Amino acid sequence: MSFKRRIPSNHANSPPGTRISPSSPSTVLISTGIPSLDDVLGGGLPLSCSSVVLAPDNHSAYGDLVQKYFVSQGIACGQQVCIVDDDGPSFARGCMWTSVVNNEEDDGSRFAQSGERIKIAWRYEKMKMFQTTVASGSSSKDDYCHSFDLSSRIPESVIQDASDTNRLIILGVHVDENVKASITRLLGNIQDVLSVSSSETALMRLCIPALGSAQWGDIEPADVLYFLHSLRRLLRRYPRACASISLAPHICSEAWGGRGWIHKVGWLTDAAISMSGFGGNPSLVALFPSHHGLVQIHKLPAPQTILPASDKYSTLRGLSSSAGANAGSGENNLAFKCTRKRLILETIHLDVEGGVTERRTTPSTNNAISLNAGPVNEMTDEHASNKGRSHAALEVEFERAVAVTADPQGSQALASSRSAALDATTTPKVKRPRKKVAFQSDRPDLYDF
Amino acid sequence: MQTFPPSDLVINAGFVLITDELPAPADFLLHRFLHVQIRDAKQSHCIFLSVSEDFDRVKTVASKATLHLVQNAKFKFVDFVKASEASPEKTTGDADTRLYNIINLLSLDIGAVKAAEEQTLVILDDISSLEWLGFSPLALFRFARALKALCLKSGATLVIRLHILDASEPGHLFRLLLQLCSYHIEVRPLASGRSGAVSGELCLHSGPCESGLKSRPLSRTSALQYRLTDGGAMFFNKGTSEGVL
Repeated sequence: MSFKRRIPSNHANSPPGTRISPSSPSTVLISTGIPSLDDVLGGGLPLSCSSVVLAPDNHSAYGDLVQKYFVSQGIACGQQVCIVDDDGPSFARGCMWTSVVNNEEDDGSRFAQSGERIKIAWRYEKMKMFQTTVASGSSSKDDYCHSFDLSSRIPESVIQDASDTNRLIILGVHVDENVKASITRLLGNIQDVLSVSSSETALMRLCIPALGSAQWGDIEPADVLYFLHSLRRLLRRYPRACASISLAPHICSEAWGGRGWIHKVGWLTDAAISMSGFGGNPSLVALFPSHHGLVQIHKLPAPQTILPASDKYSTLRGLSSSAGANAGSGENNLAFKCTRKRLILETIHLDVEGGVTERRTTPSTNNAISLNAGPVNEMTDEHASNKGRSHAALEVEFERAVAVTADPQGSQALASSRSAALDATTTPKVKRPRKKVAFQSDRPDLYDF
Repeated sequence: MQTFPPSDLVINAGFVLITDELPAPADFLLHRFLHVQIRDAKQSHCIFLSVSEDFDRVKTVASKATLHLVQNAKFKFVDFVKASEASPEKTTGDADTRLYNIINLLSLDIGAVKAAEEQTLVILDDISSLEWLGFSPLALFRFARALKALCLKSGATLVIRLHILDASEPGHLFRLLLQLCSYHIEVRPLASGRSGAVSGELCLHSGPCESGLKSRPLSRTSALQYRLTDGGAMFFNKGTSEGVL
């Protein structure tokens, strides 16, 4: 009698480009195209869920970028993609694609490959390198999440092929003066598309790149909420589909939606994150030089469980509920950066006072700059403003000590500006020639926090 | 390890208002109520009015706590939006008519249950979504009052879930509903943010207009903390390490 190894059957049955959720075997996940975002969501976006990305920065288009990844991933996996946008075809043509040459441009690998070997203290030698983000799927055979390259555009042939085989569907928004009726009509169109696709076996990705932008007319907060609620109901009826929505920048703030707007959006969708770029705020750029914006998580998908899968399985968020060394630890702060090749979500860590990038050995001489930096615009982002305040407090302490020795008259002005500085965000860093020291910010730190 | 809610909060408890916030949602609490009602109470019935979620999710989550709702005669799931529009005259414009349809539907159900001498639990998931979808707070207050009257007549317990957007400024609908309730359960996130060991805390207050209530209140200082698991939650006292170690 020979024993046959039993192959787990779910591998054969799961459609291409999907994965089973680790927390619940009946939930199917699809990739958003960005590995770190997949990790934050708990492995990917579950089917029958709607996810909203708020990108309140008016100066950049990170919401659009996330949606382009979503569309590219759908096309690459052979899934059906429906773009709800009046300029759908041009949006699809602007999507990114995998690069032909497979070079691994990883921020950490440069250091590892460089010839010089830094001497590591013996107790830290066995520790692994400090990771700030998850590794992207390196093998090209991995069809769950392809590694897209922002410098290469999707080939026209791929788009043509997808349209011809009915895998790429464009739905126009066509909102006229009667906004409510137009939205109801749009929901009807979406329902038609979903019902047609549910009869086939392919999965459907619905992408709304700019909800609330100019093509949506004079939309009001109540209309947006109604749309999100009805869309979620539709997705529950057609559970082979999922939706990824980006809100237009001007509708992401409470100034437009009223008090508690972001929470309302979070309640009416299954997953909501906001990526607040630093575009309009130079002090934040100075505070976090290697990132382009902060990530806040409002809601995470939990379609079949009480606890979102991300709470247990996300390495970026770093929550762990088991008793152990990390029991009861808080969540990591997250930020994103957009390099030449890709968009990455990373954990963000505040620098030690003075920063590990600079080792100051002489007192700073440019006190004038810090004194004259008056109150900068109030930030609405509570995470960043807390960081800014704490950092400003540290900065003031340091400068106060210096001012006593260098400029006794300056200390008066400093005391009065301290209150101003505490209210305002941090003062810009003093420009000094970079000293070459062992620690550099773009190389991974050698110790594990 | 503690359990919540105690059974005298579920059976014949009047109107229980559950408020939660986005960082600390109270899904688990609704499922606990369901669990206590169906499991622990003999001859019980439960009607779940859902505005946002569908039956599949309720069923799947309940099955993780080994509670089977599919063929269960004790459980009835009502899709609020669908039921409110199922009127013979097809007048979808009028908010009051739609709410009235639900009351009609429920009065039939509850009347049938009362005739069979069973305890009923009516759960309304999410009256806040109704407010955001366009119903006025006044209409919703009247709806809640009608529901409460219906439940009082038949000795049923009514549980309504409300989302608070801003803890310092809860909103008009909350103030109106607070006047009606017999108990108010507040589910709040920890002030220090998300944590792996504690997902949030809950407090129990008695309603302002009721006296002589059976359940002992839990104030904010002695709140019960909980940690979410896949199928439910574990409760432990604030400041103790019962659930953590």
